Amino acid sequence: MIYLPIAEMPVNVLLILLVSGGVGFVSGLVGVGGGFIVTPSLIILGVPAPVAVATGLSQVAATSFSGIMTQTRRRSVDWRMGMLLSIGGMIGISLGVWLFQRLLGLGQLDLVISLLYLVLLAGVGWLMLAESYAVMRGRTHRGVSILRRPARTIAHRLPFRMLFPRSGLYISVIPPLTLGLAIGALAAIMGVGGGFILIPAMIYLLRMPTNVVVGTSLFQTLIVTSLLIIVQAKATTTIDLVLASLLMLGGVVGAQFGARLGARLKGEQIRALLGVILILASMKFLADVVALPQETYVLGDGW
Amino acid sequence: MLAALALLAFVAPAHAQRQPGDVARDLPAAVAEDRISVGSDYRGSSITVFGFNPDRRGRGDIVVVVRGPDKPATLMRKRRVFGLWVNGDRVAFASAPTFFAVLSSRSLNEIAPAAAIRRYELDPAASAELASQTPRGSTGADYRAALVRLRRAQGLYQEQAGVTGETNQGAITLYRGGLFRAVVRLPANAPIDEYQVDTYLFRDRRLISSQRTPVNIARIGIERNIHDLANQYPLFYGLLTVLLALGIGWGAAALFRRS
Repeated sequence: MIYLPIAEMPVNVLLILLVSGGVGFVSGLVGVGGGFIVTPSLIILGVPAPVAVATGLSQVAATSFSGIMTQTRRRSVDWRMGMLLSIGGMIGISLGVWLFQRLLGLGQLDLVISLLYLVLLAGVGWLMLAESYAVMRGRTHRGVSILRRPARTIAHRLPFRMLFPRSGLYISVIPPLTLGLAIGALAAIMGVGGGFILIPAMIYLLRMPTNVVVGTSLFQTLIVTSLLIIVQAKATTTIDLVLASLLMLGGVVGAQFGARLGARLKGEQIRALLGVILILASMKFLADVVALPQETYVLGDGW
Repeated sequence: MLAALALLAFVAPAHAQRQPGDVARDLPAAVAEDRISVGSDYRGSSITVFGFNPDRRGRGDIVVVVRGPDKPATLMRKRRVFGLWVNGDRVAFASAPTFFAVLSSRSLNEIAPAAAIRRYELDPAASAELASQTPRGSTGADYRAALVRLRRAQGLYQEQAGVTGETNQGAITLYRGGLFRAVVRLPANAPIDEYQVDTYLFRDRRLISSQRTPVNIARIGIERNIHDLANQYPLFYGLLTVLLALGIGWGAAALFRRS
């Protein structure tokens, strides 16, 4: 047991390491930061929600950087695309922080967070599951992937086009900027890196090749979470350094093991797995907003 | 030990002070801990209150109130909108104690009239101050009760009555000669701040005397350093967290590449 100075509660060191290790394993496996699992887990363990949201980001930052180190060696980070997404992300963060405070003032923050999680997790999860199922079935029958990349999307038609040599794309800069902005805003409100939305968006919307998607999304996640950590430290002082250290340690070790297993699995298997995880996670949020509450009153601010 | 406590009890009246229009604050009572330290091994604590009932025949009732600082609070009642539970009907409290424990030798209603309980703020519901109108279909009492219920579930509000006997564990332990003792459990989630301990002596449903003692809960060591850093140099603290994340991330990647 160790006492957390900012969360003002004692926690079991082993339990936190185990949880962060497990989250790290999943994030290493599928190539996302894992914020969407670590933040709710911390809340379930009794960590006050504002602390969980802000501190969970530190694990995401550590695992993404660890992931980037590995991905750079495989030359699978599109730096140009990553920078563009990050610039959008920075604008999105300021928008998100402003929204966060507005919603907190209205007392509807937890409802909005639950609904956002519900819609995004279920939607993205279903999309990934359906797609990977189609690929798997297609593979067994014809031996070809039905996900053929070069199909043109809106990204190819808009103005301000730019060449992305690493991804082999010549597309407009508007979709990446908008995408980055949306992810940044979501990250600020939900306390996640946003990889679980960014990865599918990059594949389906920008038509980036799958091998650069993970590395590039990690890069954007690292920039956005690092910036958010500093913003949260300054604005809300809800980052617990002791808890953060434990999360980071467990997270990076778990992520390394996850990445090893991930390298041995096929892309569509990983996507199907992520889809299942997302749908399962969304069930919890569905229960939160629909089930009859045991206590009809809730405490607003103050933990 | 009892002798030392008795001595302590007799020294206490020297600090007694009178407040105009109120009863004498001369009840011999003191707190065993004058400071509670919160270090990295902190898992909650307790506050032990000792006192002496000057009545030779031991008549009277003891009430001990341990109270954390007052802070504003808001409470919302969930409402169903299109099948979803949303937070509606918001009510603000101008101030409510962040921690409130009341230990009494009998139940409060037997010891004092309702007016006195309200006046001296002897129970948590009486101590919370509503700041806004309550929505239709509910009363201030509903919201007060809900606040107490929620905080009680968190261990922040405690109410306990009874005297420790041969078999039962009560709120107040009485010793021969008028000495009494009360122990308040302080859960680990209780705010780290200045607390106030009020000890009251009631007889025939009237307040006879009281005593107020402050208790300070403070962080020490690394807990204190981290907390101070986060509050005084937030920018540096944020940067430190990011650097730590980068360092640990890099370390793991480097370590696992070699093996």
